[in-house]
Amino acid sequence: MQYQSTLGKDELVDLALNKYFAQVDAKNLDAVLDCFHDNAMITVQTAFTTHVGKEGIKRMFVDFMDSHKTIIHRDFTCTVDQNNGRIAASFTAELEDHDGGTVLLENTNFWRIRDDKFQEVYIYMSGANPLL
Amino acid sequence: MSAHPYEYYVDIVTKRYFDGVDNYNLEQILDCFHEDAVLTEVTSNTVHEGRDAGIRTMFEGLFGAHTRIWHGNFVHTADTAAESICSQFSVEVTPKDSEEVLRYENCNRFYLKDGKFTRVFVYMSGENLLK
Repeated sequence: MQYQSTLGKDELVDLALNKYFAQVDAKNLDAVLDCFHDNAMITVQTAFTTHVGKEGIKRMFVDFMDSHKTIIHRDFTCTVDQNNGRIAASFTAELEDHDGGTVLLENTNFWRIRDDKFQEVYIYMSGANPLL
Repeated sequence: MSAHPYEYYVDIVTKRYFDGVDNYNLEQILDCFHEDAVLTEVTSNTVHEGRDAGIRTMFEGLFGAHTRIWHGNFVHTADTAAESICSQFSVEVTPKDSEEVLRYENCNRFYLKDGKFTRVFVYMSGENLLK
């Protein structure tokens, strides 16, 4: 689906990295959910898992945040398609569970933005899907 | 800023690279890469180094193992300033000695220099075909 976005290049990067990922790492659930439209969708494409609607996305993040002691997303490389309201980013995800187990993933996200929020998010992971 | 316009990035991915893959045109594919390019299949951490070495060998293996290869349903995120294009797409392949069609939902990240691929990263939704 093609959407119309109101955001410029710097604003798209700010939405993806600061308003979204920095808030995921801080476990600030309300701020994370504020990045999404009510009927948004997240698909973990490498696992064929889809979370539909803000309630479905909220449930996923509650479980994800509860099951990890620390969540770090770092080393972003962004590709920004301002005219089409799309941004992609590669990054490292460093996850530590409550038993001290750690996982390092090399992932890529694609965001499609309608107006100024996420309408569709696609995640491609290098390993097992923790977004259940 | 890249000397190439937005459409150049879409065209090299679809009309040159994937057209070459789908039509088993190895020279057309390799012409998209710099000699020292590296292609990484991230989901299995498989690295193919060099246009005329690792990348050529990888495609020879892919072509030898499948009677049909198709890429479509593209959605591109292209950035002329960063000289990069990230593409989501569907893949259908038919393995040799089989009539089964295997379907994947993949993405590639292409990083270019002077109009050719220097680094390519592939994510596959299923088993790695790019061995």
